[in-house]
Amino acid sequence: MDVEHSRAYIDQLYSNDSQKCFQAVSELKFAVIGSVREKGSIIEQGVVVRLLQILRAPDLDVLLKTEVATVLNSLAKGLPEHASALVQAGILPVLWEQLDACTGGGGGGSSSSGGVYTQMLLCCLRSIYRHGCAPPPPAWDHKLLSTLIHHGYHPPSNQECVANILAHACKVPTTCEQQQQLVEAGGADLVACMLCSPVTRVQLPALHCLTAMCYNNERVSNVMATKSYGGKAVPDLLAGLMARDRPREMQLAAATALTFLHRAGALSADDPKIIYKTLQCLVRFCRRDREVWERVEAGNTLAYLTERSIHLQRTAAMTDHLILTMNDYLKDTTPSTPPPTPTPATHPISVSPISCRQYDNPSTWPELMLEAALKVYASLGANDEDIRQRVIKTDGLMNTIVASLSAASPPVQLAAVRCLHSLSRSVQTLRTTFQDHMVWRPLMTVLKTSTNEELVAVSSSTLCNLLLEFSPSKEHILDQGAVEFLCGLTRRPHPGLRLNAVWALMNMAFQAEHRVKMSILHHLGTDQIFRLLSDTDVHILMKTLGLLRNLLSTKAHIDQIMQNHGKEIMQAIILILEGEHCAEVKEQALCILANIADGDVAKAAIMSNEDVLKKLMNYMVIPNVKLQIAATFCISNLIWNVEEGAAERQNKLREMGVYKLLQNLMTTTDTGLFDKVKTALQQFH
Amino acid sequence: MDTSEWLEETGKMHIHRADMNRLIMNYLVMEGFKEAAEKFSVEANIKPPMDLDQLDERIRIRSAIQNGQFQEAMRMVTALHPEILDDNSQLYFHLQQQVLIELIREGRVEEAVVYAQDHLAERGQRDPSILNELERTLALLAFDQPDSSPFGDLLHPSHRQKVASELNAAILRAQNQEETTPLLAELLKLLLWAQDELNKKKVQYPVMSDLLKGQIDEPK
Repeated sequence: MDVEHSRAYIDQLYSNDSQKCFQAVSELKFAVIGSVREKGSIIEQGVVVRLLQILRAPDLDVLLKTEVATVLNSLAKGLPEHASALVQAGILPVLWEQLDACTGGGGGGSSSSGGVYTQMLLCCLRSIYRHGCAPPPPAWDHKLLSTLIHHGYHPPSNQECVANILAHACKVPTTCEQQQQLVEAGGADLVACMLCSPVTRVQLPALHCLTAMCYNNERVSNVMATKSYGGKAVPDLLAGLMARDRPREMQLAAATALTFLHRAGALSADDPKIIYKTLQCLVRFCRRDREVWERVEAGNTLAYLTERSIHLQRTAAMTDHLILTMNDYLKDTTPSTPPPTPTPATHPISVSPISCRQYDNPSTWPELMLEAALKVYASLGANDEDIRQRVIKTDGLMNTIVASLSAASPPVQLAAVRCLHSLSRSVQTLRTTFQDHMVWRPLMTVLKTSTNEELVAVSSSTLCNLLLEFSPSKEHILDQGAVEFLCGLTRRPHPGLRLNAVWALMNMAFQAEHRVKMSILHHLGTDQIFRLLSDTDVHILMKTLGLLRNLLSTKAHIDQIMQNHGKEIMQAIILILEGEHCAEVKEQALCILANIADGDVAKAAIMSNEDVLKKLMNYMVIPNVKLQIAATFCISNLIWNVEEGAAERQNKLREMGVYKLLQNLMTTTDTGLFDKVKTALQQFH
Repeated sequence: MDTSEWLEETGKMHIHRADMNRLIMNYLVMEGFKEAAEKFSVEANIKPPMDLDQLDERIRIRSAIQNGQFQEAMRMVTALHPEILDDNSQLYFHLQQQVLIELIREGRVEEAVVYAQDHLAERGQRDPSILNELERTLALLAFDQPDSSPFGDLLHPSHRQKVASELNAAILRAQNQEETTPLLAELLKLLLWAQDELNKKKVQYPVMSDLLKGQIDEPK
């Protein structure tokens, strides 16, 4: 089409003669259809403004407006930037306004031309929303949603549009309120109805809409799970749509919907639809004969499905050689094997908008596969040792994990760390495989350099596990400046990080060398210990006490530490004993005292403190066996016969009435306490 | 199993006449043989699966294609279903390719090149498989006797039929029909596929070598 000709009809667009205008719009329609270049050119020429003007004009013929809407729809089907340009030109309010006007004026029995106009408006909205660049309907207006949903019952072409609009609008970082609003406007009923449509093109976006509505939302999921249409409950409808004779996208979408319903708590892991249907469907889609996008979607959904249930993990691990299948994912991503020739899909892939993955660019596929595989392994190995051992034996997995920890892409890094975290729950693995593969080095790098909070949290949990006594990695980690780093982490605002950091320090201090303990105390400082002991999170408190307890073990260490920090430590313990804490916390504090009482010189710190001694005596008679045992043990250590100065200590305590207390306790029915009391009494001369 | 036994066993399968009629009706409706469908409906006393007037548009479009009027066909289909050509870019390419082929067939070389530049070049840039097809088509220009060139298959009428069927299927989809190819065709494909699978596994059996005649050969 030469330039002269095109200019001619564009000029006609601005004509006031509606016949000429209509012809021009028709020409425009034929020009832009199917041609990305033409669409771009038209938009650049600023024609959109005129088109919107026509739509708004109240007196213009509905046939003309329909033709304009058709052109706008065609433009919106171009590249994402074309849709963006339309949005920027202000198309959305105009479309919503026109849609509203149609509904109001036409009502149920609108003329066929009005019906076609409505249809094109909906098509246009749908095409824009599909690009994901549009904001959700203005403030999720209830009226607007209701209008939209009203159109969603008939005919099938409108249904398809409405379902797609809702599905994509939900995708934008949804809040629970938005999902709830959708349900309140009648969205759940509409979706249930659409699932029963005989038309695949309606069912598929309906599935996507359901998925978007239910994601992570317990309330909506419960509502959805109890809805029914045509006598069948939604979960049963979904199971039907997952059957093998259905199109592949539909099977995957239905499986995803059921997965989300389960994770949001609306269906249990034991529900046969979940454990005997959804799981198997997803595993099937992981096979090598499937398309890349199917394998990635299925893998990610499977990882999400099995993440929290050991029952599902065990079932998945024995379904259709899943662990081997996931190994194929790793093989297909290594550079040595040529990737399957990536042909762009002959028809657009219909993926649930909740999945944020794009499949347009084949060069991203290996990374997506890798991420999916690591996530599946992470889920499978989360709880069961047997599964973990089978996963660990996967060919090349450890190398892949280590390499991925240093990968450029944060999603892959995160997946690798999660995988590592699951595997690190295995003592055997800690002692063997992790040693062979030096996972701690890249892990430490991640911890020190990453700004992604989630990544740091999971990494620090993993580090915790690596630092358990029986882990040979421990020594190496210490050399990496781990102590200083972890002490720094205890100051972070994120409670999960603080907890992991303290926990890691606690593990590090267990049966550690003196220099390690000194390093911890030096970098942490007693001030920080006080702060941690005042932390609002009781778990952090407990682990801090655990840390202290581990520090104060073996006589020589106890004496050294108490010599340097005795005053502060005693203050801290008194703080806990006097504070409002549960019995578990107090028990820990008493155990620390017992440790201190074991030190040769350190004993003096307790003996010289009348207040503490009185507290000990109180705890001996308090009606809580565990506390009584701890207190008694402490006394026992104080009076231990063998040690120097025992006689003076015994006298002092006898004077205070401890001996009598012990005698009274001999009547206890608890064997543990009885033994402790007897041992203590035996020490007295 | 020898051939006569095979034929005996297959002969025992019973197909209802009513089912046969439905299959034929399905074929006629899908392919747009309106008059035949109307007549058959009367003679076989079965109801057509849809209002036969709905066939009109597909018939018109198919005859435009059969007459080589591809631009006209594209306009018609866009007027009726404005989204089809945007949503089915392979189909749109094939239609445009046909326009190009017709121009080449008529020897209008300059127009062909201009058309290719204006409409098809950008498509070829985006999609390597389309580029391949485009190159094959343009290569026809290099031959004095394009019919006998290695790409002669493009000029064959069967190529037009392929595009016609593709377009027909797209229209049926746009009309929310679940099936887009005649069931008879699916059945034959099933037969061919089954034989293929057996051949791959090197099973000996009487092969139906000619679908049109129903000829069955002895196993080798």
